[in-house]
Amino acid sequence: MSTLGDLKDWMREQVASRVPKADLDQRDPDYIRDQLPGTWLLASLYFRADVQHLDRIPAEGPVLLVGNHSGGNVPPDTFVFTLAFCSYFGVERPFYQLAHNLVVSAPPLGWLRKFGTVAANPDNARLALESGAALLVYPGGDYEVFRPSWERHKVDFDGRMGYVKLAREAGVPIVPVASVGGQESALFLNRGQWLAKLLMADKLLRLKSIPISIALPWGLNISDLAGHIPLPTKIAIEVQHPIDVDGDDQAVHDKVMASLQAGVDRLAARRRFPVIG
Amino acid sequence: MRVERRNVIDADRDAVWKIVSDPDSYPSFMTRLERWESADDRPLGVGARYFVHWKVGSVPVGGLMEVVEFDDRRDLAWVGITGVTLRGRIRLRDAGDGQTKVTFRLSYQAPGGIWGYIADRVAVGQVGRIAADTLKRLKRLAELGG
Repeated sequence: MSTLGDLKDWMREQVASRVPKADLDQRDPDYIRDQLPGTWLLASLYFRADVQHLDRIPAEGPVLLVGNHSGGNVPPDTFVFTLAFCSYFGVERPFYQLAHNLVVSAPPLGWLRKFGTVAANPDNARLALESGAALLVYPGGDYEVFRPSWERHKVDFDGRMGYVKLAREAGVPIVPVASVGGQESALFLNRGQWLAKLLMADKLLRLKSIPISIALPWGLNISDLAGHIPLPTKIAIEVQHPIDVDGDDQAVHDKVMASLQAGVDRLAARRRFPVIG
Repeated sequence: MRVERRNVIDADRDAVWKIVSDPDSYPSFMTRLERWESADDRPLGVGARYFVHWKVGSVPVGGLMEVVEFDDRRDLAWVGITGVTLRGRIRLRDAGDGQTKVTFRLSYQAPGGIWGYIADRVAVGQVGRIAADTLKRLKRLAELGG
């Protein structure tokens, strides 16, 4: 039993030691600028993306952007929104995104840190907002991003509302960002929370899901750790009006959820076919 | 890439210049304009800055622009300070019989080497349509007042 415990501790240490310390200086505006044309091509031609109402984001100062998350480990909505934000406000405006520890510590994904991606934890989030930056968070995290494809138009944070406390403490408004299309980039079948528990990945790797999907090029795709080739699904994103944090956490959370779900419903109503849009 | 479109408007240069020298009129004739706002609240003229974004492809493209030429009834030119490298010009010349020849030019270059070059090529058709449609709307505005 102690051997199993030692193994768990060792693995936890291995993952924790690889998570980079929050270093906002790793964001590189020139690097982002050079990548924008490639991402613009992908967003415009492959995902036929449409991003609306960026003007609703306060033109300056720190702001917490809260989105619903879709697309498994290759979420098209994140990179489309990052492109749109950087294109609209310029790469000069500091903008960070929170991502799972495994994403920011994976060596092949080191370039994400140049885009401003930092490990998802309250300290990093606070650091980013205190520096005056815009911060994009997906409170639903790995729970929401692996929901079955038939629940693709359901906003589900699994009750998480730590982001409200974060916004309150930082004194910043919350801007909901609704998106649809990402959950059609593969056929997501099951979150696989039972599998994560069975393999103890929830304790060792902070992985609450080991999702099961059918995705290119693997066919049956278990865990999605190696990612997948997303189908050319049409991505639609709607930025919503800012919400001031002036009630208790539950009341503000309810407002954000209602706003996001209404936005997703509006975008979904315009969609005639899955993937094609 | 450089895109140029021209047309002849059945109105004199004073009437057309009145429109293109009025910052408030741009949203009514500039096509696919997603953002148009003064960055420094200066009157339109050399040195005035504006945030200008056109919807090209999936997202708004543009940035902070500065007016670099403001030659009464002749030329209005601007350069991009942030965003893609961009120069723009609206050029007015007499076309006789109380008409005005208008030229609208946009020169742009995306960063990012080969991907920037491909993006420029892919966008050129849409940028051309933006320029052509902008001139059509300017013509309608100058000739019919709306």
